[in-house]
Amino acid sequence: MRLLLVKVITFFVFFATNLQAQQAPQLALGKPVKDTLALKLDSSKTQVKEFGNQSIQKYKEQKEFQYGDDEPKGLSWWDRFWRNFWDWINRLFGQRESTSSGPSMWPSILKYGAMAICIVLVVFIIFKLAGVDFKWFAGKSKAVDVPYDESLENIHEISFEDEISNTLQKGNYRLAVRLLYLQTLKHLSDREIIDWQPNKTNVAYVREMQGEKGEEAFANLTYQFEYIWYGDFPVDRTAFAQIQQSFQQFNGVWR
Amino acid sequence: MEQEMFNQRTDLSELSRAVEQIRQQLGKIIVGQQGTIDLLIAGLLANGHLLLEGVPGVAKTLSAKLVAKSIAATFSRIQFTPDLMPSDVLGTAVFSPKTAEFQFRRGPIFGNIILVDEINRAPAKTQSALFEAMEERQVTVDGKTYKLEEPFMVLATQNPIEQEGTYRLPEAQLDRFLFKVEIKYPTLEEEIEILEQQHQQDTQHQLEEIKPVLDIAQITSLRATIKALFVEPKLLAYAAQIVNETRQNKALYLGASPRASLALINSAKAIAAMAGRDFVTPDDIVKVATPVLAHRVMLSPEKEMEGLTTSDIITQIIKKIEVPR
Repeated sequence: MRLLLVKVITFFVFFATNLQAQQAPQLALGKPVKDTLALKLDSSKTQVKEFGNQSIQKYKEQKEFQYGDDEPKGLSWWDRFWRNFWDWINRLFGQRESTSSGPSMWPSILKYGAMAICIVLVVFIIFKLAGVDFKWFAGKSKAVDVPYDESLENIHEISFEDEISNTLQKGNYRLAVRLLYLQTLKHLSDREIIDWQPNKTNVAYVREMQGEKGEEAFANLTYQFEYIWYGDFPVDRTAFAQIQQSFQQFNGVWR
Repeated sequence: MEQEMFNQRTDLSELSRAVEQIRQQLGKIIVGQQGTIDLLIAGLLANGHLLLEGVPGVAKTLSAKLVAKSIAATFSRIQFTPDLMPSDVLGTAVFSPKTAEFQFRRGPIFGNIILVDEINRAPAKTQSALFEAMEERQVTVDGKTYKLEEPFMVLATQNPIEQEGTYRLPEAQLDRFLFKVEIKYPTLEEEIEILEQQHQQDTQHQLEEIKPVLDIAQITSLRATIKALFVEPKLLAYAAQIVNETRQNKALYLGASPRASLALINSAKAIAAMAGRDFVTPDDIVKVATPVLAHRVMLSPEKEMEGLTTSDIITQIIKKIEVPR
């Protein structure tokens, strides 16, 4: 704190002195003073000394006076590449005099271009850290881009006959009903009666079936599926046979 | 015929009858607004508090009054004003010269159905008086805790347009409302019907004709029935995914809380029971997702500037998540 105070006082003293020194000279009014200063003519002879070429050469040969970068020996091609690259960057952005006949514009363009890119990059990082959504600059985006997660089970890739057969062998009638329902959705989707989307509820498909052939039957199949799959209602062999028949009848209409 | 294959595990006949009676009661005065009426009933059955939002004159207060009148329970109305104090809501200790002691005088919060009219006209200080009552169903004053009687339901109304003399509800309070029910303008046909109805008899007379159809014991019993409904574990995961996505979505500044997940499942159960099912389907969750979540989340400033609403984002989130099937 004390040091800071000393620094501040020093600064102000220096600033005040400097300011006084810079003030314009004022005219002093009064009695003129006689100038006592007189110039004397220098009559001594000047002896010009010159470096001899031999002396210069002698100094140049001494290692202590060689300031250039030595090419280190034993560098790999990778090290040489990077050395040349940084040399090139230094030449490009360094205060090097142009050796060509006229001044080239390219170094300046590249220099300021690189500076502009750096500034944009810094601004981008700041905005990104601040959580600014850049889509906003592009105007109103009513529909937010929603990444679409593919269904774990694509109904178009399931071999329903095999899967249902395997499930029935294991006695899992509940799962078999689910496969029957998915198969029905695939049939309807293949015939473009419904628009299959993994995010749609069954009620949405029932709505899409309105006015179509088998509308009521599909609503019943959906009802059965929901009770068994979501409601965890038990289903035995007899009940499954009845349900399977309903599904087969419905799917038969669309074959 | 196929529908006879499944016998309900839970007897929902009493619930269906009660729901139908309340629908009829509300339908006597409220024209149209079927979605709103269903949410009001679902909120009542799911043991939740409701925030009714709409422009002036769309029967927000009337709807709340009708729900209250349909139940044989104590009813209090608190008109929220800028100078309302917490003690005006909760109650205060009053000195009794007879006993020379301070006695607690209960405020209007001590009732079964509480209508908080124009809730956003009171400042945060008064709003926070409701926190404990709404969540823990109790009131603590001067170090003493008073339990509120069940059923306890807060029906609050607010106007989304008016900014003069209003305060935005604290997030902690918004989170305590099960649904925010948005009451829209009636259609042309509905408005004509309202005029015809009012031409014959004014609302005050109509309200006097409304008789309670449910008592406290029935409500308690119906709520217990709903709580016991079956929910497939995959659907619990589905509801959790929806809520979790509100926390990940970049369009939202504030996501929904775990309380919102519970609210989503409880209200989906109520919707399922009202549909005559003793289990929940994905459609039940989708139906209540917007009323449950839209008021609990906050839009990012950029999306707000784009003119999007929290309801738009919830709809987009639902479209993003795969329905368990």
